[in-house]
Amino acid sequence: MGRAASVIVSESRERRDPRRRRSPEPEMFGLQASGAAASWVVGRMGTDAHLYDDPDDASIPTLLDSRFDADKLDALKRLLALIAQGVDVAHLFPQVVKNVASQSLEVKKLVYLYLLHYAEKRQNEALLSINIFQKDLSDINPLVRAWALRTMAGIRLHVVAPLVLVAVKKCARDPSAYVRKCATYALCKLQDLLPEESTSLEETVDVLFSDNSPGVVGATAVAFNSVCPNCLPLISKHFQRLCETLPDIEEWAQILLIDIILRYVIARHGLVKESSIFASNLPLEGHGSGDSAPNGNETCGTTSTITLFRHYIEEYSGCFDTEGNVINCSSVTSSTNNDVALLLKCTSPLLWSRNSGVILAAASVHWIMAPVDQLNRVVGPILFTLRSSPDATYVMLGNILVFAKTAPQLFAPFYEDFFICTSDPYQTKALKLEILTTIATESSIPAIFEEFQDYISDPDRRFVADTVAAIALCAQKLPSITTTCLEGLLALVFHESYISNSAQFDGEAAVLVQAILSIKAIVRTNPASHEKVIVRLVRSLDKIKEPAARSLIIWIFGEYSSIGNLIPKITPAVLKYLAWSFAAEVLETKLQILNAAAKVIIHSPEEHLEEFKKIMAHVIKLATCDLNYDVRDRARFISRLLPYCTTCVNGNNSSCQSHNDDTFKELADHIFDGKMPSTFHSTSNYRIYLPGSLSQVVLHAAPGYAPLPKPQSMELIHKTMEPTRGVGNSSESINSDAESGSSTYDSGSVYSESEGGGSSDRNAAGSNKKENLEDPMACVYDASIDQGQTARDVEENFASLITTDLTELMSKSALETWLDEAPAEPVQASTQTSFARVSFTNRNFERKPKLHILLDPSNSNGLSVLYAFSSEVSPVSRLLVCVDVVFENVSTDQLVDITIKSEEASGSEDALDETSHGSASVPTIVLDKEIQLLAPQQTAKVVLQVHFHHHLLPLKLSVLCNGKRHPAKLHPDIAYFVRPLPMDLNAFLCKENQLRGMFEYARRCTFKDHLQKLEQIGDEHTDKNLMIAQSLAAKVLSNANFHLVSMDMPVTFSIDDASGLCWRFSSEILSTSNPCLITIVAEGHISEPLELAAKVNSEDTAFGLNLLNRVVAIIE
Amino acid sequence: MLQCIFLLSDSGEVMVEKQMTAHRVDRAICGWFWDYVLAHAAGDASKVVVSPTHYLFQVYRNGVTFLACTQVEMPPLMAIEFLSRVADVLTDYLGDLHEDIIKDNFVLVYQILDEMMDNGYPLTTEPNILKEMIAPPNIVSKMLNVVTGKSSNIGNKLPDATASFVPWRTTVVKDASNEVYVNIVEELDACVNRPWESNQILSFVPPDGQFELMSYRVKKLKTTPIYVKPQLTSDSGNCRVNVMVGIKNDPGKPIDSITVQFQLPPLIASADLTANYGTVDILADQTCFWTIGQIPKDKAPSLSGNLRLEEGLTHLHTFPTFEVKFKIMGVALSGLQIDKLEIRNTPHAPYKGFRAQTQAGSLALINGNNPCGHVDDFKRMTDGPLALSSATMADGPLAAAVVSPTAVVTCNNGSGTGEVELSYPIIESVLNPLHGPHVEHHASKRNHRVNTKRSKVGVGNMRRLRP
Repeated sequence: MGRAASVIVSESRERRDPRRRRSPEPEMFGLQASGAAASWVVGRMGTDAHLYDDPDDASIPTLLDSRFDADKLDALKRLLALIAQGVDVAHLFPQVVKNVASQSLEVKKLVYLYLLHYAEKRQNEALLSINIFQKDLSDINPLVRAWALRTMAGIRLHVVAPLVLVAVKKCARDPSAYVRKCATYALCKLQDLLPEESTSLEETVDVLFSDNSPGVVGATAVAFNSVCPNCLPLISKHFQRLCETLPDIEEWAQILLIDIILRYVIARHGLVKESSIFASNLPLEGHGSGDSAPNGNETCGTTSTITLFRHYIEEYSGCFDTEGNVINCSSVTSSTNNDVALLLKCTSPLLWSRNSGVILAAASVHWIMAPVDQLNRVVGPILFTLRSSPDATYVMLGNILVFAKTAPQLFAPFYEDFFICTSDPYQTKALKLEILTTIATESSIPAIFEEFQDYISDPDRRFVADTVAAIALCAQKLPSITTTCLEGLLALVFHESYISNSAQFDGEAAVLVQAILSIKAIVRTNPASHEKVIVRLVRSLDKIKEPAARSLIIWIFGEYSSIGNLIPKITPAVLKYLAWSFAAEVLETKLQILNAAAKVIIHSPEEHLEEFKKIMAHVIKLATCDLNYDVRDRARFISRLLPYCTTCVNGNNSSCQSHNDDTFKELADHIFDGKMPSTFHSTSNYRIYLPGSLSQVVLHAAPGYAPLPKPQSMELIHKTMEPTRGVGNSSESINSDAESGSSTYDSGSVYSESEGGGSSDRNAAGSNKKENLEDPMACVYDASIDQGQTARDVEENFASLITTDLTELMSKSALETWLDEAPAEPVQASTQTSFARVSFTNRNFERKPKLHILLDPSNSNGLSVLYAFSSEVSPVSRLLVCVDVVFENVSTDQLVDITIKSEEASGSEDALDETSHGSASVPTIVLDKEIQLLAPQQTAKVVLQVHFHHHLLPLKLSVLCNGKRHPAKLHPDIAYFVRPLPMDLNAFLCKENQLRGMFEYARRCTFKDHLQKLEQIGDEHTDKNLMIAQSLAAKVLSNANFHLVSMDMPVTFSIDDASGLCWRFSSEILSTSNPCLITIVAEGHISEPLELAAKVNSEDTAFGLNLLNRVVAIIE
Repeated sequence: MLQCIFLLSDSGEVMVEKQMTAHRVDRAICGWFWDYVLAHAAGDASKVVVSPTHYLFQVYRNGVTFLACTQVEMPPLMAIEFLSRVADVLTDYLGDLHEDIIKDNFVLVYQILDEMMDNGYPLTTEPNILKEMIAPPNIVSKMLNVVTGKSSNIGNKLPDATASFVPWRTTVVKDASNEVYVNIVEELDACVNRPWESNQILSFVPPDGQFELMSYRVKKLKTTPIYVKPQLTSDSGNCRVNVMVGIKNDPGKPIDSITVQFQLPPLIASADLTANYGTVDILADQTCFWTIGQIPKDKAPSLSGNLRLEEGLTHLHTFPTFEVKFKIMGVALSGLQIDKLEIRNTPHAPYKGFRAQTQAGSLALINGNNPCGHVDDFKRMTDGPLALSSATMADGPLAAAVVSPTAVVTCNNGSGTGEVELSYPIIESVLNPLHGPHVEHHASKRNHRVNTKRSKVGVGNMRRLRP
């Protein structure tokens, strides 16, 4: 490739205009180039290029409706291209959603991509896809299941969130690890949609942590971080296994899991006493006692470890004494602690990961927890990443800087790693310079200086200025090199002044100014020993034209005019020169000349005083006539402050002035001789954040940043997984616990404690079922007869659905089992259990429907409208729900022409209407009569039949009365979207067996109503179980349109044990006539709130789940 | 978690927008970002940018900017590494990475992004699995697309490897040939000092296809193969430039693709540079490219010319940095050699091949006074296409998924071989996943890195050779 190739290079680099890109002019290229262009065309052939270029050149809606997958694909790709180009194509949502049912995986995938992009905007339409997701969730192909779950959770609809939760729980038991992993990720998506379900989410996290696939465990770390980041107690029982699995999980999850287990160990065991935080010998000249180089200490900007850790642990202030220097030693542990050792051991190999994020996370653990003598093992890997992952360099260097400031000796031998390449971006260069400055030692400084000398000829002037500043910092830190530095800097000043004089260009002066600033900083540490430098600098004043540089030199001259032997000798000459040049100077220099002159006068020896006074008077005279306000002001200020120099000019020595002389002199001394505070302390004021965090890079606390938990702040909660948000400040018991030291909690005890808790209650409850013949109303039957057997199976199966013990589900052949959920084989030989069936029917319970307010009389001229759902079945259509509406006139006037109209457009074009089959003809509301006249205090009852379109949004109505319109909202109650479906127990159990697996949903809840009644009836001789059975049935039946199939009571020894109480209700959905079976099983002691497990079996899964939630709400 | 990923072209045009979470990010952020980039000189834009609404992470490859947004705390390296992984995967899929190829394959890019990340967290990043889920474009599928208008690149079943403990190794590989190649690609870069931790034997389960086996560093390399002698003398507004390039230590193989590149100093009014060999180009951003190719036998290539300084300036006060690029096939400069490659757990001996290559990473001459500046070394070893026939692998008592072929590479650097072996105990791990020595496993995973022993490679500080 000769000439032509290089032209192409430059061409491709100069391409700026996106339009030009598409039209390469062939004549520009030679033969080879057109060959390349030809191959480029070939390369585009068969790709989707034309779709990206012209996504609009076909009718997308037509293509979407096509029967052929190829057309659909084409349309979807065009949509994707439009999305990519930022065009809003949300209006096609309904047409796209229809294709979600496509059999082609590629169509499906593209539909999902589209759905996820727009679902939140088009919530109602997105609902249409839910049933397909439900279907896909039980697809034989794990990829389809995973996609369905990902998308279903990803569209984030509040309405379907409970459904997703159930799907997640189901998929958490999927035989495919990939699906389980996606289930874990879905947990994160649910977390903010279902805040009330956080316990349930945490339980699922808990289960998934014990998964045997490392991929799933890794994903669970992600879920843990977003669902319950503070639930560190949850980690305790998994800790060991997590550590063992850590090297095997995916790199991304490793980053998060490392952080989680680090927090856990700190919260449980505290910090390590051998770690760098407690090591007195670790850093720093600044903290060593009796240091021989006192003037270098405070300036090098190092950070003490204690300050560092105070930053890491927000709530740690209690552990420091008043000076903040001593750490309360009771909350520390030792590196021999099993958990700490395991933590360090399992993170060590990760230091050699290929992912720099993992390396940094592992290094952070060592940085915080490892004994000092092992700390150096992190250095190599960290430095390696600087080369191997160039993109990570910037972040890595920012973290190295913090490490190096705390423990410079750690990185000192590796100074060569921080030498700067020209190709480094500016920020990398700046960070490397700062690190070099921090870790420079007496032995390495010669090499570093050689390096610095090269940097000074760098074309990037900003970087050169930084280098010059770094030289000053090094010189202040290492006094042995100050002379060399000053020589170099002086040479630079002369060189630069020459350049900036010869050509005035932007930024050129910065180096010169910085060089003088650096000299100033070095001189400040010991001015007397550097007086020659000052003299040389002042002498160069005439050559330097740059105002900022001149001002600086004048300041140095003024400040040190009386120091040493040489400077006072040149002072008169310099002062004269300044006075001579005053008129020609710019503002800032004039001000500095005034200041310098004042300082000279104050410190001047007697023999020169008169001379100086004359010069001063001249300067002040010039200044008071200056055009600039500030200069005149400064002149007036100085002439008042130093009256003795102006008096000599004015000649009239007034008595009051001489009287004030001493006061003024003292004042002037303070003003011009005030010691400047050290400028270097400001560096230690900025916040330090945890290594590897975003906050550390951006230097402010990013939202969601969490400092380390307070050491040993964790309370060991095993049985109840309460959300312990804010572990750090919640526990007061730490301090007392801490006294006993860490040895009392050895890791073994945690596991044993945690395992016992969960299941023991249930076992105890189960084994207590024995005969009880006391109840006269119950007929006793044996469990070994058919129904009993089935019933027990049902119950067991039910329990397995709710309990989260998954171990046996993970076998290889689990797929089929999982998909159709065949009843589990009874594991144990049947224990003799008997039930008493209580014969009640619906008639035994009086229905007390709850009245809701439709219209408040205060808003409607005295018309009060109440409504209650009725159990009547609509004679018009099965899609209509009957509502009893009661009108009452509470005003004193008559009300006329009362009627109710639907606000929603009748026969609307709403997409929902079209799809809910056959519903188009059904009106939204049917009112059986209108009320012509309603006298005061009169009531009238009307039956309203409502078509809720099978969704749970409130229906907007308007009540018309006296010709006025009053808006109202009718809130649907899903419990009345069904009608009782009478059946006997056998039919019920049979139907229930058909509706297993994906058609079955279960939830837990508690029932407390009976406690109140128990109090009322006191200790009378009534059957408390029966009372509970009745009160729950009554409650359900008066709030839901169900048929009570059966009520079983366990026959047990302990009459106070309500475990095993079982209610069965049946119903069918109004719109589809699909049966809905509800089973409720109780557990617990009758004198306490009962744990109920409610279950719904229905073909219409979305409906079933919502109904289940409603039933639970009714019970609670 | 990353809320959104944008792919921007060289002109700041948004090519692809992929929302990752429900918290949508408006693409207006790209406009803000581009203004930020333009406000900062080349290379100065930070990897982590704080915008008024989001934290931005960027990775730049071949004119394509990968931009990710988040609003909450997350490990920044996770974001950056992920973006680079996306870039790597796309490069791997498309064969190259530039603006046009992204646009031409935007559907594929979307599909890949969707598989690689879920809800803002990385999901599947193993190229091996991704390729089974989403087939890379190939000439057959393209032709099929042209002729019949349909071709699906979506795999219709879940790759088995998703369940594997060795996710990078496909469980059942069937291939016509059975070959293992080991390529040594060395880059000269900056140098670091670290001890060689093991005894130079690598054991790993190779994936199917190309992958990076390890990277290693050699400190204090003795010398560089070529020299560059730049001379700049400036006087009364003129700067005379003369750059000579020649072979310093003949590596025994031809040195290819030599280019010298430097930034013209600022304050230059005009430049007139010619070379007696190769071509010289000065780009708009004041970069001078001198493409040499191979150094001819008969003459020493030299570049000379004159720079006219800006008015008022008589001398040049900065010295440009010369960057040298070259490639040597067949030689690893460090002297690292592959002793042997042993394949276990597979009945058929594959064809094995080795190849070494050295290329300049960042080889820069900082100062004309130091004719051999920055000579650093950074090497990377990759091995080539690796396909192991598994036709008979399912015969044994264990399933094919359990016995993965294990390759053992023994390296030496010219003067002897070490002994410790890091064998990956696959069988143990799968049969008894909870009690396997997990910590030890990792050491031999494929992403393992080892350093060469420094005492064997060179002596003395060669960073700067002074005359």
